[in-house]
Amino acid sequence: MTRAGAPRFWMLLPLGAILAFAVLLAFSLSRMVQVETDIRVDAEQNMLWVMHQSESAARRLVETTLRAELGEAGAGEVALRLDLLRSRFALLQDGPQARFLREVGLQAEVADLGARLEALAPLPEGVTPAEARDLRLALAPFAGFFARAANVTMIREWDDLGGRLETSRDQLRQIIASLIGITVTGAILTVTLVLALRTSRRRNAMLRRERDFSALLISSSGEGILAVDAAATCTIWNPAMTVLTGRAAEQAVGRKLSDIAGFFDIAPVRQAVAAALAGRATRLARHPYFRDAHAPPLHVDLRVSPMRNQGRVIGAIVFMHDASDRHAARQKEAETRARLEHLVRERTRALDDALQRERSAADLYRNFAGMISHQFRTPLAVADSALQRLIRRGARADAAEIAERATGARQAIAGLTRLVESTLDAARLQAGEIGARRTPCDLAQVLEMVVARQRAAAPGTPIALQAPAGGAAMALCDPAHAEQVLENLLSNAVKYATPGSTVCARLHGDDTAVHCDIRNAGAPIDAADRARLFEANFRGANSTGTRGTGVGLFIARSLARMQGGEVSLHPDAARVTFRLTLPRPGGAPE
Amino acid sequence: MRHALAGLLSLALCAPLSAQEEGPVLRVTGKVAGGAVMLDMAALRALPATTLETSTVVTDGTHRFTGVLLRRLLGDLGAAGDSVTATALNDYAVEIPIRDFERFDVILAYEMDGAALRRADKGPLWIVYPRDAHPELQDIRYDYRWVWQLSDLEVR
Repeated sequence: MTRAGAPRFWMLLPLGAILAFAVLLAFSLSRMVQVETDIRVDAEQNMLWVMHQSESAARRLVETTLRAELGEAGAGEVALRLDLLRSRFALLQDGPQARFLREVGLQAEVADLGARLEALAPLPEGVTPAEARDLRLALAPFAGFFARAANVTMIREWDDLGGRLETSRDQLRQIIASLIGITVTGAILTVTLVLALRTSRRRNAMLRRERDFSALLISSSGEGILAVDAAATCTIWNPAMTVLTGRAAEQAVGRKLSDIAGFFDIAPVRQAVAAALAGRATRLARHPYFRDAHAPPLHVDLRVSPMRNQGRVIGAIVFMHDASDRHAARQKEAETRARLEHLVRERTRALDDALQRERSAADLYRNFAGMISHQFRTPLAVADSALQRLIRRGARADAAEIAERATGARQAIAGLTRLVESTLDAARLQAGEIGARRTPCDLAQVLEMVVARQRAAAPGTPIALQAPAGGAAMALCDPAHAEQVLENLLSNAVKYATPGSTVCARLHGDDTAVHCDIRNAGAPIDAADRARLFEANFRGANSTGTRGTGVGLFIARSLARMQGGEVSLHPDAARVTFRLTLPRPGGAPE
Repeated sequence: MRHALAGLLSLALCAPLSAQEEGPVLRVTGKVAGGAVMLDMAALRALPATTLETSTVVTDGTHRFTGVLLRRLLGDLGAAGDSVTATALNDYAVEIPIRDFERFDVILAYEMDGAALRRADKGPLWIVYPRDAHPELQDIRYDYRWVWQLSDLEVR
């Protein structure tokens, strides 16, 4: 079996043996048929008996004639014997007998004797011895002829028989040789068959072992393995599949894949199996598999590959792996990342906020001198004017007036003190204590106070106040700074308002912030000025002829930003609106 | 038929040639009703004739034979044996089982191809088997039962 030419030899030997077997069998059969034909003995080959009977008939005729000569026999008896001899001639001149006589060369003699016999007249009744003697003499040659003919016939028949026996012996010898050949080829075939059977049994055992090993591999795999045939009917369903899906092999094998579980009927799985049956492998990652409606799903990886036999796709094999742990890890990772990103975003915003406030505080300090002159001038002027009046009135002033003027002056000084404190706080702010002073406060109260003071300071300009009642405008801020910002915006609005027009202060808010709009009807601000309006020491084109330092809006914005808020400009056709925005207490991050 | 056995036996052999047809041609003896029966040609011809066509081993080609079914003849004669010994004029004798006549339509022929069989040929009576109709009859063990120039039947 190990030699290269061996398999061909093992094929050729039985084929040759079968061929030889068939040829020998056919040959011996044909020989046997010949022998069977040869050993038939026909009656026509019984010529010796015919000759003997003819001789006997001739001799009895002569005998009867002799008895008639002696007066012992009558004419009828002679006629019977004559007829019997004639019948022998009729027989000899008919069919096979005539052919035999021709072969041995006696035909002419028989014909001559037959004619002579026919010519003999039967003896009359009351035959005389002389007549009988004549007949006897005429019959003399017949018996002798038949004795001779019998002799010839015997020799001829024995020659024939000898020849036939020899032929038959030859044929039988050939048959015997053929039978020996048949026996030998039969033995060769038998040996070949036994060897082939042994080889086949050995191969079967090997195949069985391999099959058992494959089955063991499949059944002991931790990965779910199933196989389908070309019609998508399940043929293999290993124990791991049972563990994964909760369906036993008996419930799966022999059924359509789509009937086993709904999972196998969803489009991606169906397409993957179809692709594998068309010869393409597919992978599906982390597909949810619902074992039952109440439990959370497994997440499984699928590998679907075609199964080929001699290049032809005969089915598909599906490996199913439980990837639930990996899925959970991935999900957890995603959640952590989202939380981190959120945290970073929040921190960044807080840092941006802090940076903004710090910058504003720094700006404020850089412009401290300007601010002093601007912010401090008004309360000082108020206090100064109240004291001047007291001096002018001198003794004419009564106690009530003195108290009123002194109180006005004190209020102005108290405002100044608050301002100084707040501004000095900036030192702490710079040291990192940003927002430490921010507390929730009702912006409506702050606005009312500022509006009342402004009305007192500039009675000629009416101010309309529009604010929600009862803590609806709570904001997170430093009340002193907020007061200062509103003071600045309102005094600006009054300063630049068209004489006689009304200044509008409106407080409103949304979820995250409180807005205070201060609006007047005044000269519109140049587009070129708008961008620089909040810079320190900038005075717009419309401020010519108006007293001011050019830091009011800068301070307002700086103070607002220090509290996490903003001051912005919202101009339209005929009016100018400045808006202070401050965060709500809950909405702003710390 | 019984009237035909009127003791003509002694005359049969002395009858002139021309009288062959008239004299008794067959003697049946042994286990038959009456012990011995002589039959002439007229009696045989009076029986229902059967014709069969067959080849023979001593002639070429097939011939049409007409005669009496032997089982019919023996039945009429009340034969009660297992075999018959058939003897010819030349003293050829052979024993034939009566079963042959039951299995095959064996006839006692008196005509061949429409012509009466002559004593100088194979007549006047010839036991003929339906050789061509039954392959088993094509056997030398049947061939020797074809007795021609039949003169005696002894039922045994």
